[in-house]
Amino acid sequence: MSYAYLFKYIIIGDTGVGKSCLLLQFTDKRFQPVHDLTIGVEFGARMITIDNKPIKLQIWDTAGQESFRSITRSYYRGAAGALLVYDITRRETFNHLASWLEDARQHANANMTIMLIGNKCDLAHRRAVSTEEGEQFAKEHGLIFMEASAKTAQNVEEAFIKTAATIYKKIQDGVFDVSNESYGIKVGYGGIPGPSGGRDGPSASAGGCCS
Amino acid sequence: MNDYFDMVHYSHCNVFRKSVPLVTSFNVGVFSEKSSMLESELHDLSDDADYAASQQQGSASVMLRSDSTKQSSPRDGAEVVFTKDNVTIHPTQFASERISGRLKLIKQSSSLFMTWIPYKGHSSEARLSDNDRNLYTIRAVPFTEIRSIRRHTPALGWQYIIVVLSSGLAYPPLYFYSGGVKEFLATIKQNVLLVRSEEDANVFLVNDFQNTLQRTLSSLELPRAVPLACGPSNMSVDESILNENQERADNDVNNVSQFLGRPRHKVDPARDLSIQVLEKFSLVTRFARETTSQLFRENQSNGFTERRTHVQTNLDHPRKSSHVEEKTSDESGLALDSKEFDNLSLVWGKPRQPPLGSEEWIIFLDSEGRVTDSEALRKRVFYGGLDHELRNEVWGLLLGYYPYESTYAEREFLKSVKKSEYENIKNQWQSISSAQAKRFTKFRERKGLIEKDVVRTDRSLAFYEGDDNPNVNILRDILLTYSFYNFDLGYCQGMSDLLSPILFVMDDESEAFWCFVALMERLGPNFNRDQNGMHSQLFALSKLVELLDSPLHNYFKQRDCLNYFFCFRWVLIQFKREFEYEKTMRLWEVLWTRYPSEHLHLYVCVAILKRYRGKIMGEEMDFDTLLKFINELSGHIDLDATLRDAEALCICAGENGAARIPPGTPPSLPVDDGSFYAQQDEIL
Repeated sequence: MSYAYLFKYIIIGDTGVGKSCLLLQFTDKRFQPVHDLTIGVEFGARMITIDNKPIKLQIWDTAGQESFRSITRSYYRGAAGALLVYDITRRETFNHLASWLEDARQHANANMTIMLIGNKCDLAHRRAVSTEEGEQFAKEHGLIFMEASAKTAQNVEEAFIKTAATIYKKIQDGVFDVSNESYGIKVGYGGIPGPSGGRDGPSASAGGCCS
Repeated sequence: MNDYFDMVHYSHCNVFRKSVPLVTSFNVGVFSEKSSMLESELHDLSDDADYAASQQQGSASVMLRSDSTKQSSPRDGAEVVFTKDNVTIHPTQFASERISGRLKLIKQSSSLFMTWIPYKGHSSEARLSDNDRNLYTIRAVPFTEIRSIRRHTPALGWQYIIVVLSSGLAYPPLYFYSGGVKEFLATIKQNVLLVRSEEDANVFLVNDFQNTLQRTLSSLELPRAVPLACGPSNMSVDESILNENQERADNDVNNVSQFLGRPRHKVDPARDLSIQVLEKFSLVTRFARETTSQLFRENQSNGFTERRTHVQTNLDHPRKSSHVEEKTSDESGLALDSKEFDNLSLVWGKPRQPPLGSEEWIIFLDSEGRVTDSEALRKRVFYGGLDHELRNEVWGLLLGYYPYESTYAEREFLKSVKKSEYENIKNQWQSISSAQAKRFTKFRERKGLIEKDVVRTDRSLAFYEGDDNPNVNILRDILLTYSFYNFDLGYCQGMSDLLSPILFVMDDESEAFWCFVALMERLGPNFNRDQNGMHSQLFALSKLVELLDSPLHNYFKQRDCLNYFFCFRWVLIQFKREFEYEKTMRLWEVLWTRYPSEHLHLYVCVAILKRYRGKIMGEEMDFDTLLKFINELSGHIDLDATLRDAEALCICAGENGAARIPPGTPPSLPVDDGSFYAQQDEIL
């Protein structure tokens, strides 16, 4: 499938916060509670449409355990967007955000768009981190923020697409030199110049899945 | 020694009805049922004056030939000038494994080619796969590539020839069951220059001077090879060249750049080089196959007490394998595109055996249950793995939990002692009250992590599926107990993947725990916090690829991929996510034999990378693409073929490979008895 742009995303955050489930919900529109734990990195991809342009998201889902940080760091290279995920029911996953952010700042390119996601918001009764705290953290660190649920699919679509829209806007604003792939953006054959490269459909609506 | 083929003992028996006992360490038994099978062709095909004359003629005429004919296929405008049926090779000493085929000489333009194609569907070849037979197929080898042909005329049995290539390698002996050696040589003589060796009247030198460049180049590659003018005394020369090849392998691989500047023709040096390496592989692999298949047969028929001696006999004379070069690349091989080449290059390696079953297993044990020859057992498991029902009994031995020399009774005793030891360690964390746990963050964190991971481990398997599956709880208990047994290492993701098949096989909590402990003795460093165990293995892997596939290494270097992080998952959990469950268990038991190297898993990595090198380099994959590609190989890797390749690579790399793996690289173990492998390394 042709695309106007390809964005590389990376999903980071503590182990067990639901990174793989968010990815699966986004790419396959399903929730699989017994998903095998991630070793190293796994991949997902999906086409979306922004401003009538087909955009392919290539998503890297990383292992969360601390021991694997040194490996995970090598995956930041060339990511245009990052989803930094914590679990609203586990306080410690929120407390570790600063350290994740530090990794991201250090190993990713400076213009990487970061979306902070408070996952498992369907478990509000077990909430250990308030929405306000999440918002506050995001504001302090210049991140976009959303609470989401991989289980109910709430805000999952929105989180991925909003990130893409932000990246897309940065391209329009000339923040990126899109010919330099280290920004995590590849220009596809879908055509950059001109509006004709886009596919039909409303702005920021989801397209089909692809691998 | 010069003519060991003729030193075999002959016995009279019907080869088609009955296999014969092995009479030498080599499979060159030549047997005859009746004297009519003899070809008493004792005189030469012509006198020496003829040869002298033809040599002069020949050298004049061949100078006019165009080198371009060398590349063309013999099929176009080709004329078959000689055909002989029932020309047979004897891959082993077993009559049932002989492969018959049709030998042809094909003339095209002024070039002569030889082909030998095995018959299809021969009933006696049931043991041999098509792949196996294809290994021996000789596809249009041009006589410019042939150095000499040696004719053997045993007093009893069939006449056979050995064709030696200018590279110094040789095809297996071709037995002329229906006679025709004389005609064969005569036909050759009519078409190319054939000179009888002054030193040995049975050696005919194919001395086609048409391709002087080629000759020069092959002498560059084999600088110490005995020049043709010296009149190679056949096998001795052959052997010395082979030996030379082996000694030089490392240099060859390392000196790609050196070759780059040389006026090679037709192909890029990397490919040429690979072909050389391949030839070496095929030689060594062929040898290994011969030796082992011989051993296994022996094992089945005669017991295995003499095996060791036997192997050593072979290993003491590795050069004897020189006559069994198998066909991996011929003239057309040079013209193959890289994809074909990759496929071709991976047709070497020993065929896998069926898994070790209960009946055969008993043979390895004495009456009290001791494994009498652990090396033989390990070798057997290496080549075939285990029937599933045997795993429960054998894994503990392979992993080193039970000593090989323990009796049934001792193992039962150890089992009960270890069970109470396990319970004691388990009690350490079970006795932690919830109040105590509140003040024990480390424990809570570990327990939480383990609990999160066991419910994400192999839950699609019947053994672990469903809510409140007791086996999932046992996984948790074992991992938590292990984190107390080895508190410094604790728990790290990936451990549950390693434990899952062990619990599945042992189906006993304490037994699974101790087998896991034994496994972690080797793989524990994979989970060090600083990841140094992983880094050292990935570093060793990069060194092995540098040795065994220099072009691929250079490619990774150029693409900034030398950290080999794309192989991280392979190494961390021993390919657990790359194969289906059963295949993973097969691979693990093979790796646990520590045959032929305790770092075989790294050669498995090299084998897979080599298999896909054409795609990796052809598609110019960068780090990201490569990582994704490697990830997506999961479920698509042919285990048996990979193991064959890995074995061949490991044997080929030999000591040079071992030297590239820094001491202490996991899963290093104290070498208790590596004598067999040490000797095997000496082959190279």
